[in-house]
Amino acid sequence: MDRRDFLKILGFGALVVGFSKMLPQLSYSLALRKSENFEPPIPHIPIGGIIRPPGALPEKEFRAKCISCGVCVNICHVMKYDAIAVWGLGSLRDFGTPYIKDMRDFPCGLCMECPKHCPTGALKEVPKEKVSMGQALIDFSLCFGWNGDVCLSCSKACPLGAFVFEFYNSEWGNQPYINDNCVGCGLCVKYCPLGGSAVKVITKKTYEKVKEEYINEFQKLLKMNMEERYLLVYNENLPKILSRGRIVEREYR
Amino acid sequence: MKVREIAKNYEFIRRIVMFSVLFLLLLQFIRSKILVGSLTGSLLFSWLTLLDPFAFLEIQLASRSIDLNAINSVLPVIGIYLIFGRAFCGWICPMDFLFRLINKIKFSLKFSLSHKIPSNIGYLFFFIFLFSSFMFGIPIFTNYLSHLTNLFRGITGLYFLIFDMPVEFSTVLYSILFILVLLMLEFFFPNLWCRIICPIGRLYGSLNKISLLHLRFDRDKCLNCQVCNKSCYMGIEIMNQINQGKLRSIDCIFCGRCIQKCSQKGNVINFKLGV
Repeated sequence: MDRRDFLKILGFGALVVGFSKMLPQLSYSLALRKSENFEPPIPHIPIGGIIRPPGALPEKEFRAKCISCGVCVNICHVMKYDAIAVWGLGSLRDFGTPYIKDMRDFPCGLCMECPKHCPTGALKEVPKEKVSMGQALIDFSLCFGWNGDVCLSCSKACPLGAFVFEFYNSEWGNQPYINDNCVGCGLCVKYCPLGGSAVKVITKKTYEKVKEEYINEFQKLLKMNMEERYLLVYNENLPKILSRGRIVEREYR
Repeated sequence: MKVREIAKNYEFIRRIVMFSVLFLLLLQFIRSKILVGSLTGSLLFSWLTLLDPFAFLEIQLASRSIDLNAINSVLPVIGIYLIFGRAFCGWICPMDFLFRLINKIKFSLKFSLSHKIPSNIGYLFFFIFLFSSFMFGIPIFTNYLSHLTNLFRGITGLYFLIFDMPVEFSTVLYSILFILVLLMLEFFFPNLWCRIICPIGRLYGSLNKISLLHLRFDRDKCLNCQVCNKSCYMGIEIMNQINQGKLRSIDCIFCGRCIQKCSQKGNVINFKLGV
């Protein structure tokens, strides 16, 4: 056996060992993704579209200009947010375009690096406050602040703070509400302590449609009298919250 | 091997250039900011954005408007390839390496190369891709069919999948399968992709007509042995052009194979940087 053959065998061996190390990790990450799969908050309102990275053009222009080059995906990885994924074969016309996939684990940090560096101009540079990725909605039946507790996690996580959050304090908690200034980055979704999160981000387009319905629900809760609210919280909401807490014992990254 | 011999070994230098660019692109996974993105669009030192010229044409047609950001990022690339012509194909494109690997396997299996289709048919594909981008309003080639996009999308997807970051599994699967299909295509129809279908190389090739880098011939020393014709990957008939003194073919990828294989060892054919 000469030196070249020996090197070949060595290289092949290294490849096999490397692959066998990778395989369990791969299967583990695939399995993990399936396990945390339970009902999202506000199930009657759909996301209604794709949540794009900050500064994205309107859908049609965005599709025309995005070439799936991966600059935004990788710059997001370089900035340690890892928020952006690439759309799959679900709908062919959106194939290859970037979107924010998993806000529960990887929300957008609004570092504004991707619109600054997009080579094709599909993402345009805008100030933080004028980004419109989506709109976060709080599920009043799951939120701790609406069900007899004081929890400020979402408002503390929010990069825009008092610009977005309103509080309606009462004996039923601090009752947070997210107004129209929300940019939809999803940091509140990540830091909500409830199992599976009580906040959901939908597109601005869907928000325009469901806005009235959502505000009516909010007003109804504010005007509700003591006895009705007591029955609602203790008979309906708290059992739901507790069961979620039992299912998910989440470890934060 | 002497230093001069290594320097003349263009195959070796080409692979070094290709792997160093690929290595810089892979460094982005360990959060380096030197070169971020892929070969269709990238970001150099978080300062200069670069864009593939064919992708540029496609997005202008798809969006039916002119975008300043895109022009800004395509100008440096055009500047580079006004000097080097179609050198992208031979010196940077990783598919060139993979295809040559496939060709080597094939030679051991005793298949034969055929270059009988004229490469001008490629213009048909070029304009079909541009027209379909215009019709559908999506950059069709760069988004779905490009070997560069799919290669880097596949690599990035696999990396993200392994290290448990958000990624769409179907995208990774599509990209890797597409690359495998291209390799199969190369196995059965050698050089069909590079010579005829790929519009990226064709656009760079059109810069060959005016680029500074080109091939020069010394007619007097030529022995008419036809070795250069047989050695050319891209099937250019070099001997027919030897009377003109220089080669400005759209197909030439400046791989330097004809220079090395020449029986007169670099005295007849050589690279020339100049007008």
